[in-house]
Amino acid sequence: MTVHRPEPDRDSREWWERVARREFAVQRCAGCGADRFPARAFCPACRSEEWRWRAVPPEGRVESWIVSHQPFVPGLAAPYVVVMVRLAAVPGCLVHGNWRGDREPRGGERVRAVFRDVGEDLTLVDWEPAR
Amino acid sequence: MAKRLLEFRNATAIAGVGYTPFTKNSGASTLTLACRAVLAALADAGLTADDVDGLATHRVGDSAPPTLVGPALGLADLSWHLDQFGGGSVSHAVVGQAALAVAAGMAETVVCYRAINARSEFRMGGTGRGLPVSPEVQYQAPYGYVAPPQQYAMYARAHMLRYGTTAEHFGTLAVTQRANAAKNPRALMRTPITLDDYLASRWIAEPFRLLDCCLETDGACAVVVTTAGRARDLRRPPVLISAAAWGGGQSHLSGGDPTVTSAAALAPRLYAQAGLGPGDVDVAEIYDCFTYSVIVQLEDYGFCPKGEGGPYVASGATALDGPLPVNTHGGFLSEGYVHGVNHIAEAVSQLRGEAGDRQVPGAEVALSTAQPGYILPATSALILRRA
Repeated sequence: MTVHRPEPDRDSREWWERVARREFAVQRCAGCGADRFPARAFCPACRSEEWRWRAVPPEGRVESWIVSHQPFVPGLAAPYVVVMVRLAAVPGCLVHGNWRGDREPRGGERVRAVFRDVGEDLTLVDWEPAR
Repeated sequence: MAKRLLEFRNATAIAGVGYTPFTKNSGASTLTLACRAVLAALADAGLTADDVDGLATHRVGDSAPPTLVGPALGLADLSWHLDQFGGGSVSHAVVGQAALAVAAGMAETVVCYRAINARSEFRMGGTGRGLPVSPEVQYQAPYGYVAPPQQYAMYARAHMLRYGTTAEHFGTLAVTQRANAAKNPRALMRTPITLDDYLASRWIAEPFRLLDCCLETDGACAVVVTTAGRARDLRRPPVLISAAAWGGGQSHLSGGDPTVTSAAALAPRLYAQAGLGPGDVDVAEIYDCFTYSVIVQLEDYGFCPKGEGGPYVASGATALDGPLPVNTHGGFLSEGYVHGVNHIAEAVSQLRGEAGDRQVPGAEVALSTAQPGYILPATSALILRRA
């Protein structure tokens, strides 16, 4: 399956590099301790620019999902499922990915990340039901 | 309410509205569409291009900026102009900005317009165009999750899970608006539909079907903003700008509550500025890029409690003969998609009593709203009233 390749910026490049190493990490603010995703230089809570990466369990709950019957991105085979997950470790954050269950998701169900290699130089995060 | 905001209330007015036909293929450049709509709005007001000293538009994707429209119409000197990025979320902010400029004396006659060949040349939900300008797209596009129908469907599902909102609720809204469009000669889609037609329409992105989605359209629409005093001397009954608000909440791309839009934060400011509440609104033109966006805004603008938008629509409340007629022209779902400005123009027509078969009797106060703050966190809205 071809994908639209992400275009990492100076804030996000390391997040993608960690995903490529199968590490799921968010940023923890050194000023106030708030965790955040997606990757940004500034803490939106206290505006500190000091932070570190923190590996967190790649787990969450299904907030919503769609079954896309049009590919919208060239090369994808429809239908496919995109799920929106509320991270257990960072409840204010929503993470997206393709669904890897053998049935449709259920609202609120517990899920965990699955790392998917696309070619040799890109790894994406998908989601499957937690076992 | 600050004294100077009270001075702004009803200080400016919309004195004219103009349209090009809404079509699937305009056969004209976007610039040509913009010029035609601007001239039509001026003619409606009883003005000419020589009276214009301000132009304003908003854009994402296809657009004709004031720096092209001004020279194309031979405007010698624009004392004020605006080309605001932001898509449908700022459609109403543009009119608010124009009203500020007029109230401050920066310009006397500003034409706000939107021109777009969104059907024949630049599809909003298509695959051949650039991705939205947001760094968060990188976390979504690799999953085939890029288009507004997908994003709104995701939020709609969250609302269904949380509040029990149903496909029948969405469908009732589509059916109701089509019934309004049947009374609107300008509407692209005028054949009445039933709930069964809605439920039988093909999936786009579940839970959205084809009839949940607005009509990508070629067309342009414009409104003339001037001082309330000057508007009284012009050809048409003036429609006062009682309130204009814009702003943003949190990005729904990265977190927050997906069942609440930025409109929830904006609405109290908007009503306070107008000195009115939701109970005073006689007619509402609500940004309906998708059925769900109306349901969530009915909640966030205070017409019903949170989570009750679906049952409110199903009760018939938003029909032409209901207590809150919504999208009397058929909206983006059935009239056409001119990125917010045709909602403002319809509100003006209603308040002037010129909406023909779809006229809401005695309409004095109208709410018109922009994209509610999903996708981009900004939104905007106007409260207009008959002079």
